[in-house]
Amino acid sequence: MLAALLVSLKVVGVATLVIAVFGTLLALLLARGRFPGRTLLELLLTLPLVLPPTVVGFFLLYLLGRGSPLREWLGLDLLFTWQGAAVAASLVGLPLMLQSARAAIAAVDPELEDAARTLGRSEPEVLLRVTLPLAHRGILAGLFLGTARALGEFGATLMVAGNIPGRTRTLPMVVYDAALSGDLATAAQVSLLLSGIAFLALAITRRLEQPSRR
Amino acid sequence: MKMDERLYVEIEKRYPGFHLQVRLSLRTEVMVLYGPSGAGKTQTLRAIAGLMRPDRGEIRLDGRPLFRCQGTRATVNVPPQGRRIGYVFQGYALFPHLTALENVAFGIRGRHRREEALSWLRRMRLEHVAHLYPSQLSGGQQQRVAIARTLAAGPAALLLDEPFSALDLDAKRRLQEELRQLQRELSLPVLYVTHSLEDAFAVGERIAVITEGRVQQVGALAEVVARPANRRVASVFGLPNVIRARVRCLSPEGLLLDWDGRELLAAPRSLPAGAWVFAHIRPEEVRFIYPDRPLSAAVRHNRLRVQVLEQRLGPDFRLVRVLTQEPPWAELEVRSPPSTYMDLGIAPGSQLEVAVRPAGIVVLETAEEAAEEGGG
Repeated sequence: MLAALLVSLKVVGVATLVIAVFGTLLALLLARGRFPGRTLLELLLTLPLVLPPTVVGFFLLYLLGRGSPLREWLGLDLLFTWQGAAVAASLVGLPLMLQSARAAIAAVDPELEDAARTLGRSEPEVLLRVTLPLAHRGILAGLFLGTARALGEFGATLMVAGNIPGRTRTLPMVVYDAALSGDLATAAQVSLLLSGIAFLALAITRRLEQPSRR
Repeated sequence: MKMDERLYVEIEKRYPGFHLQVRLSLRTEVMVLYGPSGAGKTQTLRAIAGLMRPDRGEIRLDGRPLFRCQGTRATVNVPPQGRRIGYVFQGYALFPHLTALENVAFGIRGRHRREEALSWLRRMRLEHVAHLYPSQLSGGQQQRVAIARTLAAGPAALLLDEPFSALDLDAKRRLQEELRQLQRELSLPVLYVTHSLEDAFAVGERIAVITEGRVQQVGALAEVVARPANRRVASVFGLPNVIRARVRCLSPEGLLLDWDGRELLAAPRSLPAGAWVFAHIRPEEVRFIYPDRPLSAAVRHNRLRVQVLEQRLGPDFRLVRVLTQEPPWAELEVRSPPSTYMDLGIAPGSQLEVAVRPAGIVVLETAEEAAEEGGG
């Protein structure tokens, strides 16, 4: 179980980073960008939210497996590694981040960004000093939700990374294995741990989504 | 280019159902951009600041081109960051996550940002609220922070969009005075957007009247208000007594008009007989005639029998609305100092006679000019 906890921490750590960076960039693109196919992109990125995780995992098998650019050009083989599990967890957690972050960025008054421009601030500065600070609560809320979802990822991870004890076996899989083998005590312990973390993430999210005192 | 020209704007932009066509030239002065909402005032400011790209035209500040596009592609289009145009937004656009001090320091570069921002706050009598957030400030304080923030960035020209419309009269008067002082000290060309004539007179020297996307008239404030160039300008000012009449002939005494069957002698202007015109009977030029006194030479012309509809007394005016008791049965406004006509006993229903000297009736434009404007 300790080994599984470590694997989960590694997977979630990487997934959180990926969700934070790509989620923020994509949310900016979706909230502020004007290009054809924007709605299509948004729908595609939201798809993992409603697809069965096994379907996401199945697609990932193709994306990461034999014949994929990642494997052929970079020599990266992520199948059945914890990094592969991190990719699956990121993909499933991303839509939750996008929903929240996109709405928060869209709610920033464009006139404030215009004001920053007329005050001589470059576009990156406008982003870092006006847009993102004003949207930070929604972005953080999305990040917590996405991370919680990544921690609970099971189906897609199983398809892509398998269930190798000490290497790709994460906490949700411990629950599955323990329950099947009749080790109800372990299943209950891990279930309670995961539930506690999920509850905490939701509570923090709720707190962040409340209007600020200012 | 005129010698004293600072900011030159000549732009065109087509929107669905709206065509913006503006030409302005500012010296070191406060020019009021005046017009009804939807006339294109804010779009003009946005174009100057670089926040909206016109279809074609040219914008220059102190001889330096900020935007130039004569064909289809812009040859010059300086981004807003490089224009040195200060913009005070209508809703102030203060950064809600920054304190007053941080807001003012936002556009300042260099090592002494904090000190400079503080001195601007002191200058605007705001040092005691430096640590507060915009939501903790009063409307007048927010507006002063917005102005301080804009000026602290060191602009070479200043644009203000309805800056004081949300403030109470007291705060407004003080800020208008401060603005004039700052403008003189910093020698800035200032374009001040408003739809309040009172505001215009409080801050401006010259006025540009804009309606339906076009600058209709530019000139000294009092001059433009007294002599609107056309019917549109007259109607933005809410001018009373604008009539439609037909030219009879130009006589040695003035221009003879036919106002729905009633002859009027107007200020001379060379126009062909038969032309339709819009004319303005200036309310302060309409005089009541005392029935028991001999007529002076000034009231020889344009006499009309009228009935009083309503009378309003202000601190510095007496305003009487009357209805002519002969064709064309039209309403007129009569304006005079409050102390006049005391012994005439004016009251609703009074039957009186008025006279207007020819110089008090000014042709604004011909109906053809009006039709062309409307069509083009």
